[in-house]
Amino acid sequence: METASCGSTNLSDSSLEINPDQVKDKTQGLWTAGTKKTYSICPYCSVGCGVIVHSSGGRVIYTEGDPENPVSEGALCAKGAALSQLVNSPERLTKPKYRAPGSAEWREVEWDWALDRIAQRVKMTRDKTFKHTSKSKVTEKGVDGREIQFEKEFVVNRTDGIVSIGSAGLNGEECFLLQKLMRSWGIVYFDDKTRT
Amino acid sequence: MTDGKSIFIDTTQCIACRGCQVACKEWNRLMPEKTVNKGNLQNPEDLSHNTWKLVRFSESDEEKLTWYFFSDQCRHCLNPPCKEAADKKANGVIIQDEKTGAVIFNPNMRINQVDFREIREACPYDIPRMQPETQMMAFCNMCFDRLSEGLPPACVKACSTGAMRFGSRKAMLEAAEKRLAEIKGTYGKALLTDPNNVRVIYLLVDDPDEYHKFAVAQKPFVL
Repeated sequence: METASCGSTNLSDSSLEINPDQVKDKTQGLWTAGTKKTYSICPYCSVGCGVIVHSSGGRVIYTEGDPENPVSEGALCAKGAALSQLVNSPERLTKPKYRAPGSAEWREVEWDWALDRIAQRVKMTRDKTFKHTSKSKVTEKGVDGREIQFEKEFVVNRTDGIVSIGSAGLNGEECFLLQKLMRSWGIVYFDDKTRT
Repeated sequence: MTDGKSIFIDTTQCIACRGCQVACKEWNRLMPEKTVNKGNLQNPEDLSHNTWKLVRFSESDEEKLTWYFFSDQCRHCLNPPCKEAADKKANGVIIQDEKTGAVIFNPNMRINQVDFREIREACPYDIPRMQPETQMMAFCNMCFDRLSEGLPPACVKACSTGAMRFGSRKAMLEAAEKRLAEIKGTYGKALLTDPNNVRVIYLLVDDPDEYHKFAVAQKPFVL
């Protein structure tokens, strides 16, 4: 049974007088009645508001804030409130779109083509910008005790040509895998929005 | 009818996230609208048969820039003038829920353009809208379906700052008076909008005209 009370939004002043034997499913008379309720987390930002996803026949039909979630107590912002559109909106993109260099047109492409293209581009950029070593100034004490400054070459095995940003939709484990992949390619500039 | 339910909207706590506006669309399954950018963040431009709740943005830069947020919706008057006008045309187009006091349009009844215009003009807040093709009237119904199952209205539930509150009319009036007394020292112009005539009460901190032309009743209530 879903509870409606969340702090100041207590509906009935006499709600405590309800006989527990007569308590029915409060959502019985609503258009969402009989749907399967799955408790989930809003994927958009790092607040992580609780969401109840109502589904029927494997399809999401309605999403709303979870009043029992201690983080959000049932509240949602405009983006979170429109969560069911994430799967149901006819405006949603279902295929990648590609804009060729210099072109003003977006065209729909297949996932296989897009992923191959991304892989080629990453490989090309990485090969072109990969550095095995990098020079840096260091200060050391010489044999006579005086400090001397000189340039030293370090092994770095990195690329400065690629930056990875994203995503707020990733969880901790996915972020771990992503940064592992980025490090294995030698990418040093990466960040995601989940911590902001 | 003076008991029943009320909504109290404290505009000093509103951050205009528009969660209420979207939650209303989601629960009532209202279709989106194609809109154009008018140079501010208000979207869509006005209430419609598909937008029953709208966060209005307005600015004033006379001395220093002030930004006003006004979450517009049906006020659910205690003695709704729209119902009075509608009853003369077609009985039952607008009904008032006995338990909660919510003013509800009847989705099964059609109404012609001329009658509708009279009903809209009777509203002191310019709320009723009509779907021209189906000739069905539409405006906020306080989510009376949710209320009858013990759930708060969708907009109130979604409010993340606590600016919108829902409860018995007595409790909401008390909360409104308490909050007004709290901020009166800081905002000398603070006022409650027509608390004795309507169920959706706003707490404003400036001239109501700054928020919206119809923030307070533009026609006197005849009791």
